[in-house]
Amino acid sequence: MIVSWNWLTEYVDLAMTHDDLVDRLTMSGLNHEGTERVDNDQAIDLEVTSNRADCLGHIGVAREVAALYEIPLNIPDPQPATCSDSISQLCSVAIESENACERYTARLIRGVKIGPSPQWMQERLKSLGIGIVNNVVDATNYVMFECGQPLHAFDFSKIKDGKIIVREAKAAETFEAIDHRTYQLVPGMCVISDSENAVALGGVMGGADSEVSETTVDVLIEAAYFDPLTIRSAARKLKLHSPSSFRFERNVDSDNLDWASRRVCDLILESAGGELLEGVIDAGSPPPPRESINLRYRQLERLLGIEIPVDFIAPTLEKLGLVVESSDEQSVTAVPPSWRKDLTRDVDLVEEVGRIYGFEKIPDDVNVPMSASYRPKADRVIDRVRSVLTAAGFDEAVTPSLVPQPWSDAFTPWCDSPPLISSQPMLGVLEEYSHNIGTVNLLRRSLVPSLLEVRRINDYRSNANVNLFETAKVYLPSNQQEIPDQPMKLALVSHRDFFAVKGVVEALVKELNPLATVQVNECSEVLLDASQSGELWLGEQRLGWMGRISDSAKKQFGLRADAVVVEVDLGVLEHETQLIACHANQSPFPPVTRDFNFIMDDEVRWASLESTVRSESGPLLESVKYLETFRDEARDGPGKKRVLFSVVFRSKEATLTGVQAEELCSRIISNCTSAHQATLVG
Amino acid sequence: MSIELFIEQLEALAQAASKAFSEAADSDQLDLARVEFLGAKKGRLKSLQKNMGAVPGDQKKTAGMKLNSVKNSIQEAFESAQSRLSSTSGEGERDVKFDATLPGEAFHVGRLHPITQTINELKDIMGRLGFTPAEGPEIEDDYHNFEALNIPRAHPARDPLDNFYLSVAEATSGNDSALSGNPLLLRSQTSTVQIRVMENTQPPVRIVSLGRVYRPDTADWSHYPMFHQIEGLMVDENVSLADLKTVLKLFASNYLGDEVPVRIRPSFFPFTEPSVEADYYWDGKWVEFGGAGIVDPNVLRAVGYDPEKVSGFAFGLGIERLCMIRHQITDIRYLFTNDTRFLHQF
Repeated sequence: MIVSWNWLTEYVDLAMTHDDLVDRLTMSGLNHEGTERVDNDQAIDLEVTSNRADCLGHIGVAREVAALYEIPLNIPDPQPATCSDSISQLCSVAIESENACERYTARLIRGVKIGPSPQWMQERLKSLGIGIVNNVVDATNYVMFECGQPLHAFDFSKIKDGKIIVREAKAAETFEAIDHRTYQLVPGMCVISDSENAVALGGVMGGADSEVSETTVDVLIEAAYFDPLTIRSAARKLKLHSPSSFRFERNVDSDNLDWASRRVCDLILESAGGELLEGVIDAGSPPPPRESINLRYRQLERLLGIEIPVDFIAPTLEKLGLVVESSDEQSVTAVPPSWRKDLTRDVDLVEEVGRIYGFEKIPDDVNVPMSASYRPKADRVIDRVRSVLTAAGFDEAVTPSLVPQPWSDAFTPWCDSPPLISSQPMLGVLEEYSHNIGTVNLLRRSLVPSLLEVRRINDYRSNANVNLFETAKVYLPSNQQEIPDQPMKLALVSHRDFFAVKGVVEALVKELNPLATVQVNECSEVLLDASQSGELWLGEQRLGWMGRISDSAKKQFGLRADAVVVEVDLGVLEHETQLIACHANQSPFPPVTRDFNFIMDDEVRWASLESTVRSESGPLLESVKYLETFRDEARDGPGKKRVLFSVVFRSKEATLTGVQAEELCSRIISNCTSAHQATLVG
Repeated sequence: MSIELFIEQLEALAQAASKAFSEAADSDQLDLARVEFLGAKKGRLKSLQKNMGAVPGDQKKTAGMKLNSVKNSIQEAFESAQSRLSSTSGEGERDVKFDATLPGEAFHVGRLHPITQTINELKDIMGRLGFTPAEGPEIEDDYHNFEALNIPRAHPARDPLDNFYLSVAEATSGNDSALSGNPLLLRSQTSTVQIRVMENTQPPVRIVSLGRVYRPDTADWSHYPMFHQIEGLMVDENVSLADLKTVLKLFASNYLGDEVPVRIRPSFFPFTEPSVEADYYWDGKWVEFGGAGIVDPNVLRAVGYDPEKVSGFAFGLGIERLCMIRHQITDIRYLFTNDTRFLHQF
């Protein structure tokens, strides 16, 4: 809201400096956004919060100034003279749509002479940046910016049969507005119509046909209260935002319609002549009387943290327009004014008294009681995850939660149900070369496709060695009645090969729980290469998936080189995490290490070989370490491989003897031979 | 030659040798001194040794013992000088092929996203002030995102065009889920976590919630349809704006690393009354910090608290803005493009 300094002086005596005024206004709720000089006036831009429609006019701001500086407020009392003819003989108003319009008043001025508005009015409107039209239209604008009530002036000769009907728009009804564009109306919008056609879109914009022009002689003045929600949705649908709709959306003062109507008639008579018909048409109903509010003084100290002198309280409320009914040592009872619909409870008055008294008087060094916070396990786990991954050279990415269809469908291991769809798409979040990929309106069920897109962006910019991770929720639809499942996942995308990335996952798991080991099962995810991929398990719990992306996925995501991806469930990791590690006695005796080299079928998996090695070795086996695999078709035949591994034995009680070690080794050899048809080399 | 003279000469030699060795500035000088004193042919110790022949026979044994001890001490002095010099210049020949000025093997430590870094820092500060982190769902129902937060049906914040209302694939036959029942949406503020925590906890409550929030703004340099918020809530007996101001001042001073003035000025939010906007004074001007206020009694009642018995404050800040100011990032979209050259800066 732009306020003119000169204009304000009409209601309050501005003895203070500009800077002092805007500081006080900022600190009492009208944030000063800037001031511009306009000729010999100052245009002060104040931010008005949506609960303070009363400050969308100069009088409202002047009332704040009067309360802050404890100075008188002078509001004009327009009493325009009328002729003997009554408006009711020429005009009628019917409200058919009471939901959209609670109250509608009309006055009629006959025989105006359209011309320029007075100089002083033009100057004030110019200070606000409002265009100058003519003495009638300018007067309606002037009064709107004076008291916050939008007004409309119709060329009465264009109102057929002198009938004003406030009704809902009909289906497929069209309407040509003052801006000479034709708008398609829909039911739910509020229309002002004469006996035949819409002449205005209520509260939003007047019609081209009934606009006041140079030829206008008789003027019908509308002052009405329109429902905020109706106005907002109409203005929004038609993209027709105006100072009028802005004010109606924030609730105008229905009690002030008559004042605004008299005021504008007075100004028009003064500058355009003519005669005002006797009486006013007042359709609909006035607002119900306001209920009084009891403010207990102790509430002020309890919520503001400062004591406010009792003799400051009631006078401040009166300055703000409340009518004090009674007061004693404990409390004050007052009725709020019609223009302050935001005041209904004692806590609302606590704010009023507090902000006029000054929030700057509230101390910032009180004793807040001590309280020990704690860090939830999930937080501590995610911190460890992040430190392992950054140590492993992975950078953290943050990507949008909504994705386009092709990404949504690309990888859905956690969930078979279709994704949740957002009513609104995310706009402007795709890189230029991904623009035509689709609407970004699906809640992602995996983080992997988003990271592949990030990988592509980096490839495109020739950034080398891109290793990224993200921790975020995915959204898994369930029964529509409930809040869907939103588990936290961790995803990785890497330039490194399968085993390098698997090593990172294993190191991560070890960091969280030294005793846990990751098992890999086969999987058949289309995004992943059929052989270089697997489902990851931690004991009985499925941890996630990893693998090199398939050639078709590589193509889909426009990648130039291979990528290995991982997605695991952070909940499972958290569940497995041992935040406090436990000590186990370390044997003081030297170990015995033996290397094995077996020939076996390619089909034999290391995991199963290892489990055979461990199966009967008992507590003396300390570790099994895979060394390498190689193939020599000439010597071993096709489909065979040689697997080298090393086993460490150690006892907690004594140094192992050669005999004990040999016995353990021969058991391993015989078990491997019988379980895997493996042959020991050498 | 008397034994006394012989011993005197030995001691003088020991002193001179020790001085020369300790004064040697590098291995070349030390080597010269070694030749001078310990040289096998013309060394001064060697020449002095020849004088032993002139010592009377019955004193030869004493003289020999003295000679040995001096020899040992000179040798020790040499070795200690040698080790002194080797600790700086090393043993052996300098190999010109080894260029120690070549860069080390590249070792990349991954970077946390600047948003995470900002969140961690804020969470840390709030933790020190006694606020425990709390989590809540990002997909919320209308009740927790609006109703319980005292945002009435007609409030502009509930406009379907201003929210990501959700539906499942089967139910997309044009019916507007936003207007019926208790529809789901992506939360538009982290205040929803307040409600969920208070529904399940009795006062006193002191939490901080952080996370993603969503509003359908078209992405530009200063807007993104997804962003992050931090929200603090403290409910107890007699919690007032003075407590809020005190906590915000500690918070801002801690974050900025210097004591900064904080002011609060009236504002409007449906879920607080009084509502305030908090600013901190930095670089000669007031900078907007975030919205705050005393929890509205309707919110307390919605979660089953008695507003006559307890009161509380809440505040919420946008993480991106703090992060961008801190790191001088000029376009919010950089944060979500994840160009690794961008990420490596932090």
